[in-house]
Amino acid sequence: MITLEEIFDAGTSFEKKAVQVFEFQRTNNPVYQRFCKALDIVKVTSLSEIPLLPIQAFKDTEVLTAPENSKSKIQNLEFQSSGTSGMSRSRHVVPDPEVYLQSITRGMKHFYELDDYVIWAYTPGYIENPNSSLIWMLNVLMEREESGLSRFMELGQPMNIAGLKKVQNSGKKLMLFGAAFGLLDILDKGEIRLPEDSVILETGGMKTHRREITKTELHDQLAKGFGLPKSQVHSEYGMAELLSQAYSQEGEWFECVPWMKVSIRNPKNPMEEAAYGEEGLIGVIDLANLYSCSFILTGDKGLQRADGKFQVLGRWNPENLRGCNFLIDQD
Amino acid sequence: MAEVNLNKYISKIQKAVEEWLSQENQVLWKAVQQTVDDGLFSQHDIEFQLSVLRENIANGDIREWVNRSELSDRQNAKGQKVLCLHAGNLPLVGFQTALGTILSGADYHGKLSRKDPHLLASFLDEIGKSLPEKKIHYSTDLEKFTNLKADKVIFAGSEESISEVKEKIRELKAAKENAEYIIRTAKFSIAYLEDWNEETKKELIEAMLRYGGKGCRSVAVVVANFGLKKVKEELEKATREFWELNPQHQKPAPDLQYQYAYNAAVEKRQLWLEDFLIQESEELPDTDFTVNWVEGGEEKVRELKTQFGKKVQSVYSAGKKIAGIETEELERAQLPPLWWKPDGVDVVERLIR
Repeated sequence: MITLEEIFDAGTSFEKKAVQVFEFQRTNNPVYQRFCKALDIVKVTSLSEIPLLPIQAFKDTEVLTAPENSKSKIQNLEFQSSGTSGMSRSRHVVPDPEVYLQSITRGMKHFYELDDYVIWAYTPGYIENPNSSLIWMLNVLMEREESGLSRFMELGQPMNIAGLKKVQNSGKKLMLFGAAFGLLDILDKGEIRLPEDSVILETGGMKTHRREITKTELHDQLAKGFGLPKSQVHSEYGMAELLSQAYSQEGEWFECVPWMKVSIRNPKNPMEEAAYGEEGLIGVIDLANLYSCSFILTGDKGLQRADGKFQVLGRWNPENLRGCNFLIDQD
Repeated sequence: MAEVNLNKYISKIQKAVEEWLSQENQVLWKAVQQTVDDGLFSQHDIEFQLSVLRENIANGDIREWVNRSELSDRQNAKGQKVLCLHAGNLPLVGFQTALGTILSGADYHGKLSRKDPHLLASFLDEIGKSLPEKKIHYSTDLEKFTNLKADKVIFAGSEESISEVKEKIRELKAAKENAEYIIRTAKFSIAYLEDWNEETKKELIEAMLRYGGKGCRSVAVVVANFGLKKVKEELEKATREFWELNPQHQKPAPDLQYQYAYNAAVEKRQLWLEDFLIQESEELPDTDFTVNWVEGGEEKVRELKTQFGKKVQSVYSAGKKIAGIETEELERAQLPPLWWKPDGVDVVERLIR
């Protein structure tokens, strides 16, 4: 069985690790095992042969990889996606929280000099969810930060200017996490100048509003409102079903941590990768999902360029709903 | 149109349709062969569609339609330009709209589907011969309707396609700025089964599988007082028998097998038929070759009809009518009268209003 250290080890090729994880999960995860069997997939030797399990599975059943008699049978932690009442939520059981902890800290360190930052978070819509994976992640980041200045901001309140000064005086930089529209809510109370070396990390999601706004517009408004150059407004792509995240530090293009890989799949044939620049379903291989399923077909629309960076273009909607439908390119 | 002229006009149309549908019509025969040779539709599906139309005409459906829509010399669409954008998901799916437009007295401008270019064209040529004074214009090329400035546009669309189509029409000036758009959004039908017997099974199979289940009158959701498990084996046998007589022309994309594998993974009850999938699910049936089976009674039918909204064309019952819902007989799912109402709209009535 592949170990945690091996998962994060940069010395072993991603493909080799993924094939090992595939075998582990196909053998020990009943859901993924049935999925592979129905597709007649037994042994794989490359990434392209590995089938991606539709993410809906996390809503419909328990997706758990647990070898017989292993400690993984003990379920320590469970994440749930946000949702309004009556809406079914995804459940992600995490038998070994250490995997997520390692993924969070190593992932952030891959992109940022993490020890240089104080973490602030404004997360309306998430904070009420006791099973939010984002909140768990933020707690990890805040607890490991040693200045004591990291914290969740009070909802509905203006920004604490005195607090900002303290961060500045501590010699550390500010990393402000926030649900996309939560951050705009802060700006509704007036523009603020964050210390000039701050970074804003918006986590996507329309948890408080249903405003029609593009990612570019959002980043423009955040940059202007918080007095930062646009290059310091970043995004995170993550979800309750994944234990790793991708980050964009360059406009709308996301980059994965080394133990995660994204590919764009043809919605009509999810085993097939779309050409670079072509829209399709975002497929994720997240090796940190060792005890659930690492091979996930999301419901998000995206596109990818040759260097592996990708864009998230919202939810995928079937364009050609069954029945009579006049389509310019086909009819 | 004076009353006497209307009668003459209708008679000419009736005669043209009869001649077009005649077994001796070599033009139609060639159109059928061409369609089959091009791999567009199967001979079985085309023959079935033609047999339904022959039955409609023999039943006097054209006159019935005129009466139902209250078409008259005072109330007609003469002088209007109507642009019809025909889809091509099943053979002659645009026939009813084309005939309705011509019946209404309007000038017909039809963008024929590249997926069904021969069959409807053969009908329009026949009508053109019988009504030489009538403006009948068709093409498979949308650009040919540039500067048409139609008064009304009819097409079937979905949320995703409507804006693109309207934009293209605007760009070509194919319709007036203030043109009326008659857009059909119904995509599938629901069947309610109270009991299970040989007759119901036969009717359901026909309603689900005819044309590969691709028409909006095809059943994509079954609400039954019993689960799929009870009838799974019988359904499989009946499907195989149906396909022996009516081979499925088109094959599903690989995502259908993916759905089957997903169902197996989460242990959702299903009947996998390689080229078709019947699964227990209350979700919107948004992919071809799929039927969702829901265990429930009349209340469940009402709930799903409300939930799926305008995407539902018809609700069928193999037994009694469902209270509060316009219910059609399941056995008529693929045998609609000529005057049936796509999206609940009588096209003639709408054009002459």
